[in-house]
Amino acid sequence: MAENTIRKIKWFWPWQDEQEEAWLRSMSQKGWHLSSVGLLGIYRFWAGEPRDYVYRLDYQTFPKKDKQEYQQLFRDAGWEYIGEMSASQYFRKEVKEEDSLEIFTDVESKIAKYKRILAFLWFFWIVLIAVFPVRGISIDNPYPWWGAIQVFTLLIWLFFTYTIIRLTLRIRQLRRL
Amino acid sequence: MLRDDTNKYLPLTESTCYIMLTLVEPLHGYAVMKKVEEISKGTVKVGPGTLYGAFTSLEKEGLIVKVKEEDRRKSYVLTPKGKKALMNQIKRLEIMTQNGLSVIGML
Repeated sequence: MAENTIRKIKWFWPWQDEQEEAWLRSMSQKGWHLSSVGLLGIYRFWAGEPRDYVYRLDYQTFPKKDKQEYQQLFRDAGWEYIGEMSASQYFRKEVKEEDSLEIFTDVESKIAKYKRILAFLWFFWIVLIAVFPVRGISIDNPYPWWGAIQVFTLLIWLFFTYTIIRLTLRIRQLRRL
Repeated sequence: MLRDDTNKYLPLTESTCYIMLTLVEPLHGYAVMKKVEEISKGTVKVGPGTLYGAFTSLEKEGLIVKVKEEDRRKSYVLTPKGKKALMNQIKRLEIMTQNGLSVIGML
């Protein structure tokens, strides 16, 4: 089994969902079909015949019961559910003539998806500010590792800030269409 | 008497408008997708991501309500508030259509 599957680690920013979808499609065209996704950028593929699958990503958080209803709706529309990576929901469908290949059929709902991600990012951005170990700035650090924690928190905060800015710009770009 | 506070929902997007139009009777998700495509003569298609998002926000705003659930498929129908919002949207569209028809000869 192990030789028929490969694991890849690849990072996509939340505003690069279309690039991510295109990459997964190109993997399938080479015969590597996504079998599962794991935490933060871990993809598992199984080897098969090359097929033209399109992949689509939604972003949703919900209780288990709602999730079943959600998956059923996509299944009815011909989408196969693959898995979830930090609330990103992965679907695929084989390309056929006259079949709809989009899960979002208007700009507004596509923007709504980015806004759900933004809401999550803002939440953590504010939490990080609230717990930011500012007191450590004083010269008499309580612990030797205090500085390291500060730097680490600052880096995560910068990461969130950057993601929020880029995602907001992506939404503005879509609005202009 | 129902207070008319539905103007804040307007204008509805074309997709949302069509989704609500189909929900004059209880329907589940996939039936809504099929019906929208049919009554719009194929001009509007609603993908499952768009539809799920619309269901979630319309239900949250009390414009539609869940009436039944079987085989993991929930059926929704318009609430009185939802009907009111849809009526107001239709009136707006009617005015726009009349405007459009009156200038069509000049185009």
